Amino acid sequence: MSTEQKLQTAEQLLAPWNKETIRPEENRLDVVIQPEALHEAASALHEAKWGYLSAITGMDMGVEAGQLEALYHFCNGPAITSLRVRLPRAGAVVPTIADIIPPATFFEREIKEMFGIKVDGLAVTDHLFLPEDWPPDVYPQRVDFTIEQAKAMEVSHADQMPEPGRVGENTFVVPIGPQHPALKEPGHFSFTVDGEIVTAAKMRLGYAHRGIEKATESRSWVENLYLFERVCGICSHTHAMAFSMGVEQLAKVEVPARAQAIRELVAGLERVHSHLLWLGVTAHEAGFDTLFMYSWRDRETVMNLLEQITGNRVNYSANVLGGVKCEIGDEQSKAIKEGLTYLETRIRHYLEVVTTDAMFLNRTRGIGTITAPEAERFGLLGPTARASGVARDVRIEAPYGAYVRYPVSLVTETNGDLEARCVVRLKELLVSCFAMRSILDNMPEGPLTARMPRKIPAGETVARVEAPRGELFYYIKSNGGEIPVRVHVRTPSLCNWVSVLEKAVGRQLADVPMLIAGMDPCFSCNDRVVTVEDSRTSENWSWKRLREYGIEYYSR
Amino acid sequence: MKFGTMFTDILASFFKKNSTQLYPFEKNPTPERFRGNLYYDPAKCTGCCLCVKDCPSKAIELVTIDRAAKRFVLKYHMDRCVYCGQCALNCRFKCMGMSNKDWEHAALNKEEFLVYYGKEEDVREMLENISKPPAESEHK
Ligand code: SF4
Ligand code: SF4
Repeated sequence: MSTEQKLQTAEQLLAPWNKETIRPEENRLDVVIQPEALHEAASALHEAKWGYLSAITGMDMGVEAGQLEALYHFCNGPAITSLRVRLPRAGAVVPTIADIIPPATFFEREIKEMFGIKVDGLAVTDHLFLPEDWPPDVYPQRVDFTIEQAKAMEVSHADQMPEPGRVGENTFVVPIGPQHPALKEPGHFSFTVDGEIVTAAKMRLGYAHRGIEKATESRSWVENLYLFERVCGICSHTHAMAFSMGVEQLAKVEVPARAQAIRELVAGLERVHSHLLWLGVTAHEAGFDTLFMYSWRDRETVMNLLEQITGNRVNYSANVLGGVKCEIGDEQSKAIKEGLTYLETRIRHYLEVVTTDAMFLNRTRGIGTITAPEAERFGLLGPTARASGVARDVRIEAPYGAYVRYPVSLVTETNGDLEARCVVRLKELLVSCFAMRSILDNMPEGPLTARMPRKIPAGETVARVEAPRGELFYYIKSNGGEIPVRVHVRTPSLCNWVSVLEKAVGRQLADVPMLIAGMDPCFSCNDRVVTVEDSRTSENWSWKRLREYGIEYYSR
Repeated sequence: MKFGTMFTDILASFFKKNSTQLYPFEKNPTPERFRGNLYYDPAKCTGCCLCVKDCPSKAIELVTIDRAAKRFVLKYHMDRCVYCGQCALNCRFKCMGMSNKDWEHAALNKEEFLVYYGKEEDVREMLENISKPPAESEHK
């Protein structure tokens, strides 16, 4: 089905509630609906299996306009349908859609706290990312909330997490974090255990919240590029790429083919470094430190390549608005090819290790299994979803940039356990290496940058990029000035957390670190939009039910 | 199912040279494109300030002493710089660049991270001017 047909189908599905149709871009359809109709409209799309809910963007249209907007973005291949709900600034209420689409909980809690859009029917009332004692009726992402106000805000940052210790006869709450030797980044988990079995899981993030989205609203387009590069220290290039792509779409600037090829190349190298890093961490959590050390040693190869090409190991700053900074000449091309040859043999070796090593398989095979329907229901993304057999990869579904010319093939596994997640990631690397070679062999000639205007024409756009952890979603709005009006970022880790919490329940406490590592969490990147998640928000399982589930699981 | 799948890797490493370096006596050579400290050549500068405009961390300030005589001093706050290279990219006259030799950052106090680039007499003159009305151009 073509994009146009998909959008037409969506329009027909939404016809009963449609108040106004807007086509902001060729691949996008905005349907304005009344807040009361939201639930029905969302279920219409959901029931017809029209794509998946990718993000909910909150927006403040300003004090004079007196209006807030909530945009529910559904993605289906390259086609994006957004349900646009217009709300008054005072007393904005939308119904929850988390009962039909569980991952919406995170997004809804975000707009609730940041924009003061009340979500009717939301099961959890605790704060999601603001401190517990944040004053009510202060919404940090509204336009009239200034940085000065934030500075003056007196909050004690006292979190009300459950007290550790014995809670029932045989049950204990085991708190982990926010500062904990086993956690590489700050996060708080509390696992209720009955003996060794986890019966409830809860988490709170937000310890690394930096308010980046708000900060963009006072910086120029170019300055923001570097700010977004710093959302994540592992996939910095993907963030910068997604932002540049969005800005270029708004400015209607065609990025030269050579620049696009180099972007894909750097993204490929970044994926290799990210997945090898992940492999090491997972191996370490499983107690397989040999694999951890060797995979990290080999990761140095790709880090050195990145440094050699771009000039830095972490924030490569390879992108500029309108193109790239770094040229790939013969010398670089030769170095990359040599590096890839070495890496490919190593990746094949690791693939063999993770699928045959008896000790490691004990910790991965059949553990944390997520079936395909579950993965769909939780709204998982990236390799975590692909390991369960869900074909979700923006590079293939909606090819962008150079992925049109140098496509990658889809890698999926069916088992959905930790082993499958290892296999998917490693196989994906081999695919990436193959694509990088074809780029190097057929590098298009031409300039590296196109001229970008300083003022970006007014408009709204969506840029989606496949980061190593899954789909990265950027929503960018300009009013024609030198600074953006609103940039909304939804990082893939945010959608994948649910897999940990759902899967920890009923498992041994010792499996939990592996489950956390299995989704390749990135705290800092979702801390921009921080989350507190109660594993049972969607269903509200009673403790009794959880316990039964745990017992049943183990007697199977 | 196998045991000791990584045994050969370990064995092979026994016969490899140690990779730990005796820094600072031994240093890894940095690649040519490495982005270390910013350098600036006032001779080519026109004072257009394009470099200052896009610096995401407000790490550089250009002080014009005499535009016609091309007397400029660049105040570089090394500790604020994020080494992105945007300033060097913006400069049309190639007066700026990121050094791949000069990258080691350690100092006992913060002042050492504020560097003045320019002709010696210009820097002196500027510093004298600053010391008269107390630190006027400092930290906007
Ligand atoms: S490298 Fe970047 S942060 Fe440093 S001075 Fe230049 S523009 Fe500013
Ligand atoms: S952009 Fe170049 S010429 Fe212009 S002020 Fe900066 S260093 Fe001087």
